[in-house]
Amino acid sequence: MTVDDIQALTAQLARDPSSLVFLPLAEALRRRGQLEAALAIAASGAGRYPEMAGAYDLLARIQSDRGEGDLAFDAWTTVLRLDPDHVGAHKGLAFLSFRAGDFARSLRYLRRAVELRPRDESLRGALSRVEDAAGVRPVPGFERGAPDPLRALEAEVGLALLVDPQGRLLAGSVHDSGGKPASEQVGAVLAGISREAERTTRLLGLGPWRELSLEGGPAHFELRTPTSDSVLLVTRPREIPAGRLALLADRAASAARRWLEELR
Amino acid sequence: MRFADLLAELTRIPGVRGALLVSREDGLVVADALMESVDGKAVAALAASLTGRMNGVTAALGHPEPVSWQLRGSDGMLLAAPAREGLLVVAVAAAEANAGELRLRLLSVAGRAA
Amino acid sequence: MRSLEPWVEAPLSTFLAESGARITLLMTSSGQVVAQHGFTHSLDVMSAAALGAGIMAATAELSRVMGSRPLDAVVHQGSALGIHLAGFDTPRGRWLGLVVFGKETSLGLVQLFFGRMAHDLGRAAPVEPPSRPVLAENFEQELNSSLRSLFGR
Repeated sequence: MTVDDIQALTAQLARDPSSLVFLPLAEALRRRGQLEAALAIAASGAGRYPEMAGAYDLLARIQSDRGEGDLAFDAWTTVLRLDPDHVGAHKGLAFLSFRAGDFARSLRYLRRAVELRPRDESLRGALSRVEDAAGVRPVPGFERGAPDPLRALEAEVGLALLVDPQGRLLAGSVHDSGGKPASEQVGAVLAGISREAERTTRLLGLGPWRELSLEGGPAHFELRTPTSDSVLLVTRPREIPAGRLALLADRAASAARRWLEELR
Repeated sequence: MRFADLLAELTRIPGVRGALLVSREDGLVVADALMESVDGKAVAALAASLTGRMNGVTAALGHPEPVSWQLRGSDGMLLAAPAREGLLVVAVAAAEANAGELRLRLLSVAGRAA
Repeated sequence: MRSLEPWVEAPLSTFLAESGARITLLMTSSGQVVAQHGFTHSLDVMSAAALGAGIMAATAELSRVMGSRPLDAVVHQGSALGIHLAGFDTPRGRWLGLVVFGKETSLGLVQLFFGRMAHDLGRAAPVEPPSRPVLAENFEQELNSSLRSLFGR
């Protein structure tokens, strides 16, 4: 859209503030990077037309461009309330979720968008990229692969592992000192440690076990039980302070717990 | 230094309910300083068994044996550090005990035991 | 696991699960077998029971000669296996337990859970039924019946 076009639309809106011309005008301003002006026009239009999903979708896009993720999230949620099959809102929420590291949520929105528009190649491409980034892998008993909840928390792979009570891998991975994958071997041992820890705290009257810290030579380890039927191992080089590793482990345990609850 | 003196360094820390020197292979008590409520035999056997399991994790990752470990339950904690001659220094403490101080003291005792 | 007395099963099962013992034999102090786990031949059970009772009797005599009270337990430790032999009192009299264990567990764990089993057996034992006279012609029958029970045949 040229500058002349924008001026014409602006004049039209000034003559008739209730005109729907606010939609193409705000979008044009947004594309030109004039976000403050775009926001003012879009917000005014959404205020006049509170039942128009398109107005809130535009508002959300502008707010997202401005870095106001929370406000964009609210606006796109409003869009879905008005129009549950609005593809733009599903895409927008998928993007915000991905940016926040909530891969599971991002995938849910993107998959719904692909259902609504199955021939849209760009949507399929986006879904594939998010699945890659999320480390999606098959989970026994579920149709779809599930994203790795530990990916969002790890700057690099190989530092956290989640297993079930039988030592089978659920998420994450660890490598040995030579850089080779060691997830299965460690997973098998973790299950035994969890049972042993449970027995120890029970027989010694220490209450249900919560945390196990292991101070190694080159690396430290923290074990948690995100749920009653899972065990989490988080590791870092010994240069990372023990308290920080404990916090990382707590955060990973929370993420793992949410993910397991969603799977169920 | 006598074992009793070494263990006393641990039991002096507020919240510590007991300290033991344990034979790692057998899980038997070598020396102990325990409050009445603490079952030394059980602590020794279970701590030695858990230490063996921990070694499994580090071995699977190609790392040396752990220097120490801490197990925290809602009502208390168990800490251990391997020492020379196949011994293990173990402490049982209340949940509110200063784990940092206890760990440092445990490592110091482990370095001097046997 | 096989037992002649149903009330022995639960404490023995718990002991086996917690201790990781490979072979366990419970018997009276005279060598009469009450329960076993891990044996595959009846002859081995009888031999082990007789030998175990004999070792405890010899140890008791040794203690007496040395002026000490009888020893509660005897441990033999090899490079791959260990044997723990201990006596304990039950409402049914003095019993012995013979436990063979490997590297996957430890003497400490075996002793810890053996003690708990002895305590649980004491609590689980029902009131002693009136004893019947043992007749020679019944003895062989009863022995064979016991062996069949112990081996599930």
